[in-house]
Amino acid sequence: MCSGRVDPLMVAEAFAAGSDGVFIGACKRGECHYSTGNLHAEARVELLKHVLEAAGLSPERVVLRMMSSAEGNKFVEFTTEFQRVITELGPLGQAEGMDRTTLAIKLSAIREALGGRKLRWVVGKVVEFKNNGNLYGERFTDHEIKRLLQEVGMDEVRIREIIERLKDKPKSVKQLSEEINAPSRVILRQMADLRRMGLADIASVDGRTPIWQLKVDARYE
Amino acid sequence: MKNSKRSSGDSTAPRIGVFVCNCGINIAGFVDTKEVAEYAKTLPNVVFVRENLYSCSEAGIRDIKQAIIENKLERVVVAACTPRTHEPTFRAACEEAGVNPYYFEFVNIREHCSWVHKDSRDDATEKAKDLIRMGVARAAYLEPMEPIIGDVTKKALVIGGGVSGMTAALELGSRGFDVVLVEKDKALGGLLRALDEIYPWGNKASTYLKQLVESTKTNTHIEVLTSTEVTDVTGYVGNYDVKLSTLEEPIRVGVIIVATGAVPLVPEGAYGYDARSKISMYELEVMLKQGKSPGKRVVMIGCAGVRSNERLYCSRICCMTAIKNALLLRKRYKAQVTVLYRDLMCYGTRNEEILAEAKKAGVRFINFSDEEPPLVEKEAVKVKGAILGREISLPYDKVVLTSALSPAPTNESLSRMLKVPLDEYGFFLEAHVKLRPLDFATDGIFVCGTSRWPATITECLEQSIGAASRASTFLATGSAKVEPIVSVIDPEKCRGCGLCVAVCPYGGIELVETDQGIKARTIEVACKGCGTCGATCYRGAITMRHYTNEQLVAQIKAAFAKV
Repeated sequence: MCSGRVDPLMVAEAFAAGSDGVFIGACKRGECHYSTGNLHAEARVELLKHVLEAAGLSPERVVLRMMSSAEGNKFVEFTTEFQRVITELGPLGQAEGMDRTTLAIKLSAIREALGGRKLRWVVGKVVEFKNNGNLYGERFTDHEIKRLLQEVGMDEVRIREIIERLKDKPKSVKQLSEEINAPSRVILRQMADLRRMGLADIASVDGRTPIWQLKVDARYE
Repeated sequence: MKNSKRSSGDSTAPRIGVFVCNCGINIAGFVDTKEVAEYAKTLPNVVFVRENLYSCSEAGIRDIKQAIIENKLERVVVAACTPRTHEPTFRAACEEAGVNPYYFEFVNIREHCSWVHKDSRDDATEKAKDLIRMGVARAAYLEPMEPIIGDVTKKALVIGGGVSGMTAALELGSRGFDVVLVEKDKALGGLLRALDEIYPWGNKASTYLKQLVESTKTNTHIEVLTSTEVTDVTGYVGNYDVKLSTLEEPIRVGVIIVATGAVPLVPEGAYGYDARSKISMYELEVMLKQGKSPGKRVVMIGCAGVRSNERLYCSRICCMTAIKNALLLRKRYKAQVTVLYRDLMCYGTRNEEILAEAKKAGVRFINFSDEEPPLVEKEAVKVKGAILGREISLPYDKVVLTSALSPAPTNESLSRMLKVPLDEYGFFLEAHVKLRPLDFATDGIFVCGTSRWPATITECLEQSIGAASRASTFLATGSAKVEPIVSVIDPEKCRGCGLCVAVCPYGGIELVETDQGIKARTIEVACKGCGTCGATCYRGAITMRHYTNEQLVAQIKAAFAKV
């Protein structure tokens, strides 16, 4: 199976199923059996790393390594290294100081983010932007791509987590900020985004604190 | 990603049969196959398990077919070796026993278990169980498929008019297939035009070339276009539309053979190369052809500019060229020739004979180590013989640097147009070095000659005849049978955003106007089944057949679900 077939959601499924690490082996750059599948896989793994980090999980838990089918020694080297890193990290969530409930919420935020329209558009365009440039012929450097994926990835995971956490009951920005462990100004900005998108509104005001709720028919694609 | 048990709608659980192959002692020697087979019986939907000594043998296949029929098996899982060699065998067995071949699932417990965990029988056994559990989980979600058949335009395009291209064109032309042969130079012939004598038989390149060009030009099925380059290629097997620099209208061909050749490396910066007293082997060839003598004292130095950090590869043919020319200089000009080499690549009995002949004729061969390469000074070459262990000084009239063939600079643009890969050095990369050496992974495009890797003329001939033969299979039948492992797009879910079109490396998805608006649609014969589109769509509209989300997620879940 081509590494280009590896949907980031499958990696999320593996974590949800109990995996502590995911290793993706791909063809070498320029030698992909399916032309550019490995480059797409590479971009997705970069995104995955940022998304994991944004959720407070170690980005080292997902690894992509390139090798040819004639490089058994490299495969051994890579998998041994991977095994060592994951063993040192320890069990997913637990090693990051998360309880099971938090991990479940984080994983579900990750899954929603990776399946969502925004991240899939961004990551789907990386290979094109790097090699051929955008509509105006501007090529993106690795650094620019990295920043883009990092920013969008972080934003998306947080917004998905807010949605997850608002599902059971309405909450204030302060509450959310504590639960998510993110600065309240960031959460506030995202609440404003959610309202603008018609996904959330203020349910009530407790003293002078607005309490936010999800709209009933809210669907963030 | 949701798991619906079976998408086809029937409620009964599929009847799965598992066959565990011993592969003699290849697997059974390192994996407890009995234990594995017992374990397989406990897996969901498994109704039949059998151990085979050799599943791929005639008896093994007969056994599988019989078991399918007797036990009314609906899915077949074989835990054996690699799908590369035996997947077709087992698929055929399924088909003959009345089970759709795509209901077959291969689990590799040889390469993935017994071979790599030879020292740990327990671990190998446990891993075999894990892999079989995953295979069985996927098998439940497999779906039946039929091969896709497309029409093939009975015309071929051969790119490159050297010895390989002309030979391939002639092979096809002689079978009555129309061929368009394009050559970017003004004349046909390629590298052959510069060569003097051809080894191993010592015939004149010019005589051979003249015959070859003559037959190519007079063949009524071959249209030769010189000073012509390929500028754009679209389409898929059977129907490639190719734009050429000298024609206004694109031509339509069914198959394409790449025979663009290689270029002689100019060993710039190696051993004081100056194209005067220190020349390349290619320049020596040109001199010899013009009847010029390089002088009485010639020193040849091997591996100039290759097998170095800059170019890691061995160009394979340069040693033999050196031996041939050393012998030729000896015979023709009574020159004193010394060949300095790191390793001597001289494969095949005839080539070995020439080496022996050269030694007998008085050509000196001196081995040097790559730590201590020869030093080319003004009057003499100084070299420390690896076997002699001391420095020797060799006065010279000419130093000839045995340099490599390097990839043609046009390879990169052509590979992009054809959507076929290059290797790390820039040569064209075949689908599989041993199993499909003349095919590209893209159907209907073939490769031969030095565009693929440095090769002797004999090898170029073999390859071009082979590539023409591969191409003929499509041209003769007039149809292309393609694996149905392609993506399918659900128009209900698709919004026509076109992201899948953008990521597809094969131009295998198009946007079409429908009653429900613009929708993406897979061009089945162009799709190679990489699945990149399926992993991209945010609407979940794309199903990658045979590697569906359901199948893969079932496999992932099974990996972590120890029973």
